[in-house]
Amino acid sequence: MIGGVPHTLATQGWWIVSRSSGLVAFVLVTISVFLGLTMAGKPVRQPGFARTMKALHEQTALAALVAIGVHGLAILADPWLKPGVAGVTVPFALVSHRFSVAAGIVAAYLALLLGLSFYFRRQIGPRLWRQAHRATLAVYLLGLLHALGAGSDTGSPLFILWVVGSGVPIACLFVYRLGAARRADERRRRAPRPGRSLPDTA
Amino acid sequence: MTTPRPRAVVLGSLSLFAVLFVVLALELSASASTSAGKTQAAAKARPAPAETRAAAPEPEVEEPASEYLEPEYAEPEYVEPEPEYEEVPPVVTSSS
Repeated sequence: MIGGVPHTLATQGWWIVSRSSGLVAFVLVTISVFLGLTMAGKPVRQPGFARTMKALHEQTALAALVAIGVHGLAILADPWLKPGVAGVTVPFALVSHRFSVAAGIVAAYLALLLGLSFYFRRQIGPRLWRQAHRATLAVYLLGLLHALGAGSDTGSPLFILWVVGSGVPIACLFVYRLGAARRADERRRRAPRPGRSLPDTA
Repeated sequence: MTTPRPRAVVLGSLSLFAVLFVVLALELSASASTSAGKTQAAAKARPAPAETRAAAPEPEVEEPASEYLEPEYAEPEYVEPEPEYEEVPPVVTSSS
């Protein structure tokens, strides 16, 4: 069995790199989305918790971007698939698994845009940035669609366990986050606006 | 609570990548060595993409030999028509 490994690496090395990096990217995106939702919902109000969550969220997001880049490059270099630059960068350009691959490409662009927008949030405006950042969940969902449709390891029990094990808490956190956002909106609406005094009737 | 270092995330990601790479390589080579043919195993593990299938030339199908046999053309024998001779009665001339 070991004697065949060099042959396997020589013939299918890029495929193995693309599969591994795709799985790593999906795991990192899942962790990052999970941490982001945990942070936003503020379920724990322990001092330092938010700082730790924020640092981990940022680092996993950046690592996910690198893994997505490696995944794309490995697919591009695959001598068997030969997708071409357009097949890797333009949605629906690749005939094989057209919709799943397109979902993955759109997810990658969204991840890049939303991930790097963090460093331009002052220019974008915190409110608009926060609203746009909520679309990060779409990166996770599109990535999941991509993995289920085009992935070679979707039948693996470990993959299914990961998807179910992470998907359920992410869904719960998302619902909790929606509720928290609604409560915060109501609180803001009820609170008196600073700088506005009652009209002088005297 | 201390702020985590980026190195931990990078190392964790690289370790996961390395583990997955080794596991997948071993799995693929094992499936290739146990099955009858390595190419067959690779093809099983990795089905051909649609465009490759579409681009592959279709095997030429030989037309089956038709059972109908054309009858041999028999050239009609040339028969030289016999010249028709008109019997002309001998002309008798009198020389008296």
